[in-house]
Amino acid sequence: MSNDRYHTVGKSIFRRGAKERLTGKPIFCADMELENVLYLKAVRSRHPHAGILGIDTTAALSIPDVVQVFTAKDIPGKNLMGIINKDQPLLAEDKVRSLADPVALVAARTPQAAELAVAAVSVDYDPLPAVFDPEEALAPGAPKIHAKGNVLVQKKVRRGDVAAAFEKAHTIVEKTYRTSAIEHTYLEPDAGVGFPDEDGTLVIYASTQNPHYDHKEVVSLLGVEDHAVRIIQAATGGGFGSKLDMNVQGFIGLALYHLKQPVRYVYTREEAYLATAKRHPFVIHMKTGADETGRITAMQMKAVCNTGAYGSYGIAVASRAAVHATGPYAIDNVDLECTAVYTNHPFCGAMRGFGTPQMALAHESQMDIHARALDMDPLEIRVLNGVKKGTVTATGQELVHSIGFQDCLAAVTPEYRKAGTDWLSEPTPPHIRRGVGIAGMWYGIGNTGVQNPSTARVAMDRNGQVTLFTGCADIGQGSTTILSQIAGEALGLDAMDIHVVVADTKYTTNAGATSASRQTYISGNAVKQAADKLADVLLTEAVNYLKVKKADLRLENGSVRDARHPEKQVGFVRLASRILDKGGELSWQGYFDPETVPLDPETGDGIPYTTYAFACHAACVEVDVLTGETSVRRVIAAHDVGKAIHPENVIGQICGGVAMGVGFALMEAFVPGETISMNDYHIPTAADMPCVIPIIVEAAEPSGPFGAKGVGEPALIPTAPAIVNAVSNALGKRIYALPASLERVLDASIASGHFNNCYQES
Amino acid sequence: MTTMTCIRPESLDEAVDFLHDHGPDTHILAGGTDLMVDLRSGENHRPFLLDISRIETLKTVELSDDQARLYIGSGVTLTRINTLPLIKEHAPALHKCSFTFASRQIRNMATIGGNVAHASPCGDTIPPLVIHEAEAVVANRDGNRTIPLLEMTKGAYRSALHPEDLVVALKLKTRQPGFFDFQKIGRRKALATSRMSMAVMADKDDQGRISFIRFSLGACTPTPQRMHTVESLFAGKNPTVELMNQGAGLLAEKMVEITGRRPSISYKEPAVQGLFKRMIYPMITWCRQ
Repeated sequence: MSNDRYHTVGKSIFRRGAKERLTGKPIFCADMELENVLYLKAVRSRHPHAGILGIDTTAALSIPDVVQVFTAKDIPGKNLMGIINKDQPLLAEDKVRSLADPVALVAARTPQAAELAVAAVSVDYDPLPAVFDPEEALAPGAPKIHAKGNVLVQKKVRRGDVAAAFEKAHTIVEKTYRTSAIEHTYLEPDAGVGFPDEDGTLVIYASTQNPHYDHKEVVSLLGVEDHAVRIIQAATGGGFGSKLDMNVQGFIGLALYHLKQPVRYVYTREEAYLATAKRHPFVIHMKTGADETGRITAMQMKAVCNTGAYGSYGIAVASRAAVHATGPYAIDNVDLECTAVYTNHPFCGAMRGFGTPQMALAHESQMDIHARALDMDPLEIRVLNGVKKGTVTATGQELVHSIGFQDCLAAVTPEYRKAGTDWLSEPTPPHIRRGVGIAGMWYGIGNTGVQNPSTARVAMDRNGQVTLFTGCADIGQGSTTILSQIAGEALGLDAMDIHVVVADTKYTTNAGATSASRQTYISGNAVKQAADKLADVLLTEAVNYLKVKKADLRLENGSVRDARHPEKQVGFVRLASRILDKGGELSWQGYFDPETVPLDPETGDGIPYTTYAFACHAACVEVDVLTGETSVRRVIAAHDVGKAIHPENVIGQICGGVAMGVGFALMEAFVPGETISMNDYHIPTAADMPCVIPIIVEAAEPSGPFGAKGVGEPALIPTAPAIVNAVSNALGKRIYALPASLERVLDASIASGHFNNCYQES
Repeated sequence: MTTMTCIRPESLDEAVDFLHDHGPDTHILAGGTDLMVDLRSGENHRPFLLDISRIETLKTVELSDDQARLYIGSGVTLTRINTLPLIKEHAPALHKCSFTFASRQIRNMATIGGNVAHASPCGDTIPPLVIHEAEAVVANRDGNRTIPLLEMTKGAYRSALHPEDLVVALKLKTRQPGFFDFQKIGRRKALATSRMSMAVMADKDDQGRISFIRFSLGACTPTPQRMHTVESLFAGKNPTVELMNQGAGLLAEKMVEITGRRPSISYKEPAVQGLFKRMIYPMITWCRQ
């Protein structure tokens, strides 16, 4: 589709917010100027599991400059948080369930005093037996973490007759895969500030992915009316899912409620590591059967994921994992089950992909193992099994449009083939072995089988100035720019000429979370609907004014003109006055909720998402067979995004996703109690980055704004399995647990014989 | 978070005087790349911070008149080690290690004296210094003395320095070897503490036999090691793949003997052999040229 059809959609316009960031404006919570600000700091548990017998704050309160120490009894409303299920107290009451659990909150005039007070709060603990392994937590007699038991949720998807299909299968592959807990490591540690407004409103600026949820939660914690709290999203330096939880917002609300003076809480990197969500570590048992042609006929999958002390987004992760277990492949007989289990691990929650990256390791490894067993090319087996128009998914949904998986496979094919012939045959030193791997993915846009609407308002004033009001939090991915482009396209305006009011609960309505790769598709549609309504009112008035029928009118550069006689035109200013003078409406609300059907609890039958994004990555790696060092040289990444509203943003997401995927594949592992900070948790540096070749595929989604879907999470999902498949191709030995660390790769090299046979006497 | 008094002397005498009076209560700040991390963790707090970064005499690099010794001031940064022709010529393995040391930003700050004085088992400059039989020149109010590098470290992060001591220079035996290398393994390609490092330099006679060899292993053992048994295995011989494999086995044996069998040994035992082979294999080819 040519971009010329649109004047701003499809163009990589200057990014909104870039100038403020580049010139160092104080837009982040840590930098905001406030007078007489108090510093907050939480006292956190010293035990992974313990009863609380008493908390003594006397010594802490006697420290100079310490203003107050709050405990659970100071919380006026409901001391319970959680976006899906409420199980997490803001401050622990009767017990702590992990080392991250806050038990008290200090407010002090200096950071030093706050720190001293934290050390001086004395908590009387009654240590309880703790359990960290989810499979152990499921065993009878395991320590009970929550009163209702250790199972957070079990999600199932069943279809066809798995037993019969395995019976008839030509080859069966059954393996166990493991992934590690991952820390998001966003650039900006969690932060917030708060102050009382002139009218007494508690105003909270926060680094967040979901201001309207924060608002609901703070209101509930404080037991106040909705209007008593206003949440504004501050500039947010990345989130990747972790800033969907209430990290500092509740603490700021609590202190503000009692002290009525400005407060600030900025996590140190160590606290951000300790106290915020992690990616769920998974254990996945997967069994697949194929016929002699390589068609996958059956899949059985049982996964256990460790949600740690609290649910957070665990239910969504389990549900998405079960629904996505098949990968982007048509499999008629499935029995899929994912159980999320409570343990005393620090809580796990949302992270880019919600269980899908973990599943992709399993299904993409299985595909390669089947291909090898049948002596098939890894690309061919994916083409054979890949979803296409008419495929019925594991949840019984027939895919009818915007199914770009085969296009993504085709898009990487030339580079993949070239790598397989030319690159692999280049000479290398004896200790270096090269490998090429490929992996596919699918990802449902929006929340799984539940309503998740977005709203937006587009308004024009008497001067013709258009303002977009959206609750959508831009956390660095660029949604404000994209939503401006969508409104601009609908109204014939330059995107940058539209004023924006973003993520402020006083002025914007709920757009839902910036998660699930949903904002371009869902909020984009809400914005488009509002803008279209305004455009229609302008057109109607222009018909009256220009005496030209609506079908011939166009919105262009701030005026409405006759497409056949461009000199016939009327400016927005004149139209706005005429409409307002007549008592007309220039402020319009948009609403969009993707059509989903809730999934059956036993079979998973339903429509989890209206549309899916697809992708395929090919990775070229070099493995040092003597040391286990792995270098990813090149990643070719094709993504079906429906329509790239802002192509540079899409490319940015793809490259960032690959970077995160390299970390997930090769080096990242958060070990509770051991991992303290970036000193002992390695994310890839620029030197670890491969050359990335992004390829944008546009299989237009009819229900998307200008055909758009999403790319935020898909960008990461195929990278790790593509790398693992490439390492396996290099060594002839497979790795089943992430990260494919020095140790695991060297073990594989030794097992394959390459370690010992590297150098021969010539 | 606690307050510290920062002292920034302009001369070596001032610094040494201060250490004489306040040594045990003082952290010495050179590049700060290790110290800042330690201070942040809040452990081992001392009231004074002695910033020696302005003492110009610590930043000199010079060759002795007979060219047998190279003096590298303790305040010389890794970036300068990377760019000075004198070092490239007379201590080429040290020069090579400066390419992969941490990251460019850290190389701009980190000093060779700090790398030595910190007594980290993982200091990348240690194996290259050991193969040059380096000594630390240490000053205090009583005067200067030299400590062989291998005796500088009493254990992991335990330096043999006294609180009133300041490392002023490293003194290396110069050599322009026919073959040299530095190799390391990290968890990523930059900014990762070395899991293992090693340095070698060698010369051959006209028959292609090893006539001189120095080999040192870093990061695997609590203190720096010069591996004499490995050196003597090669000395006087024409290196072969078989000899290399034998050396690798010997090295691993020696390492396990020092460290014992900790959980990390299941990686280190094969990896130390692998890294050794990766480094020594080109020496075989070189000897046959």
